[in-house]
Amino acid sequence: MLLRLGFGTYVSALVAAPVLAILYEAFAGGLPACIAAITDPVAKDALLLSLGLSAVAAVINGVMGTAIAWGLVRWALPGRKLLSALVDLPLAIPTLVAGILLVALYGPQTGLGRVLGGWHMDIAFATPGIVLALLFVTLPFVVRVVEPVLAELDPAEEEAATTMGASRWLTFRSVLLPPIVPAIAAGTVQVFARSVAEFGSIAAVSGNIPHHTLTAPVYILGEVEGGSPGSAAAVSAVLLVLTLILQPVSRGLVQAAGSRRV
Amino acid sequence: MIFTVLSLLACSAPPQGPTAAPAEAAPPAPVVLTLGAYTTPREAYGKAILPAFSAEWKKTTGQDVTFKESYQGSGAQARAVVEGFEADVVALSLDPDVATIEKAGLITHPWRDGAHGGMVSSSIVVFAVRPGNPRGIKDWADLAKPGIEVLTPNVRTSGGAMWNVAAAYGAATRGHVGLPGQDAPAAEGFLGSLLARVKVMDKSGRDSMVTFEKGVGDVAITYENEVVVARQDGQQMDYVVPSSTIRIENPAAVVDVYAKKHGTGKVAAAFVDYLQSAAAQAAFAKYGLRPVEGSAPAELPPVSDLFTVRDLGGWSVVQSTLFEKGAMYDRASAGQR
Repeated sequence: MLLRLGFGTYVSALVAAPVLAILYEAFAGGLPACIAAITDPVAKDALLLSLGLSAVAAVINGVMGTAIAWGLVRWALPGRKLLSALVDLPLAIPTLVAGILLVALYGPQTGLGRVLGGWHMDIAFATPGIVLALLFVTLPFVVRVVEPVLAELDPAEEEAATTMGASRWLTFRSVLLPPIVPAIAAGTVQVFARSVAEFGSIAAVSGNIPHHTLTAPVYILGEVEGGSPGSAAAVSAVLLVLTLILQPVSRGLVQAAGSRRV
Repeated sequence: MIFTVLSLLACSAPPQGPTAAPAEAAPPAPVVLTLGAYTTPREAYGKAILPAFSAEWKKTTGQDVTFKESYQGSGAQARAVVEGFEADVVALSLDPDVATIEKAGLITHPWRDGAHGGMVSSSIVVFAVRPGNPRGIKDWADLAKPGIEVLTPNVRTSGGAMWNVAAAYGAATRGHVGLPGQDAPAAEGFLGSLLARVKVMDKSGRDSMVTFEKGVGDVAITYENEVVVARQDGQQMDYVVPSSTIRIENPAAVVDVYAKKHGTGKVAAAFVDYLQSAAAQAAFAKYGLRPVEGSAPAELPPVSDLFTVRDLGGWSVVQSTLFEKGAMYDRASAGQR
C-alpha cells in the first residue's frame, strides 16, 4: 500500500505536476487571452505547419516503415543485422545532431546542395528539410511496431495465396495487410505525435521563418525567450492536449495489433 | 616543529578577534564579476577589454578580478537576467533590453544619466555580401528583389534583428529605398518585400553570421563590427554600407540587485566606467566597433545619411510602431509569401 502510494506520488510529481502547471499558466490570463495566443497569425501558421508536415511524415514513414519491416522479417539479407541497427540509430542520435547532419549533407555549400540549388530545389532551411528531419527521427517507430506482428504471421499463408494464383498485390492486400493494419496505424500515430513535438532537428535544419518554416515547438521557444511565457504556454497546451488524445489512440491500436497475434 | 609554527601563528593574530584581517599585509579577496552580454562584441570583450580591465584594477586596488562571461541574443540575455541569471553587469545591444531589466526592479540607478546616455559603443547596420559582391547589392532596394536570399535574425530574441528592421524602416521613411519617403504604407510594403526574401531567421546576430559563413544566403543584414570580426577571423566576405542606415548604440549597466548581493558593486561600477575610457574605446575600435562619441576611425567607410533611433521618434515610438504584437513588423511579415 505504502509502496503503491510512493509510486503514485513519484509519477504525479514527475509528470502530472508539470502538465498541470503549464495548463494553469496557459489559462492564467483567462480563456480569451489563451485563444488569442493560439489564433495569433504566427502561432496559428506554426501550429498548422507542424500538423501538416507531421501528417506528411506519418504517411511516408507509415508506408516505408511497413516495407522495411517486411524486408527485415522476410528477406534473409546478408546485411540484415546492419540494416536493423541502422533503423534504430536515429533513436540514439541527439535530434539536434540529426538536423546538423542533414544541413551538412544538403546545405548550400555542399556538393549535393549546390546541384539541387541549381535545379531550384531547396532542402536545407526549407520545408523538404523539415520533412526529412522528421522522417529521420521517427524512422524506427513504424518498423518496430509492425515487425513483431509480421514475424508472427505464417509465411505459408502468403505462399498458399501465391500458389493459388493470386497476384503479389492481391496477396499483399488480402493476406498480409489485414492483420498488420492496427500495427501500421499505431506506428503512424506515434510518428505523427512525435513529429508534432520535434524540436532539435528542426531548429537546425529549418529557416524558422514565421508563416513559412517556423514550426510550433520552435515558435514556443521564441515566445519563451521573447518574454511571452503566457503565449508559449497556450501553444504548448495545444500540443499537450493533442498528445493526450493521441496517446490512448496509439496505445489502443498497439493492443489491437497485439491481440491479432495468436 | 608544526606545533611551533601553529603557536607562532596564534601569537601573531590581532587582538580584535579572528575575523579582522591585517590591513596592509593581505591583498583584498579576489572577486568574480559576471558579465551578461549580447553576441557580437564577444571578441572585443573576451580578448581585449576584460583582460585590460583586470590588469588595471589589479594595479590600482591590488585586487584580482576574474570574469564569468555569457553571450547570447540581446533580448534573450535580458530575459535570462530577469529570470535569475545573476549578472553583475549587462552589456546589451539596445536600450529597451536594459530597460526590461530595469522594469523588473533589478537595475535601480538611473543608468541613462551616465556619460553618453549609458551607451558604451556604437556601430551601423550594413550588408555582408559574398566576396566581390557577385549579386551587385548596393542599397536597400536591391535586398527586396526577387531571387535574393537575405539573412536577418529573429526580432523576438535578437537586438541586432531589431536594429536591422529599424534601419530598413528608417531608410524607407527617409526616402532611400526607391519609394517616396514619409509614407508609412510604402515603408510597410518595402519591409514586407524585404522580409519575403529572408531565408533563415537565427536567434542572434552571431548565429546569423555563422549561417552566412556556412554559405547560406546572398546577403546578411548585420552589425558592421560583426563583419569586421568575421574578416579578422579569415572569413571571405565584403560589406556594403547602404546610402541610409541607422547608428547602433549599445548600452551597458550595473545590475544593482545582483551586484549588491554578490558584493561586487564597486568593481562593477568601475568596469562600466572603464568601458567609456579611451583604452576601452580603442579596444572596441580594434574589433570594428565605432566610438561612442566623435567621428569613426578613418578605416571605416562613411555613411551619407546616418540617422539615430531618436530621428525615428525614440525607442518607445519605434517599439509601438514596429515591434509590438500586431504592429508593422508582424503585418509586413504576414503579408508576403
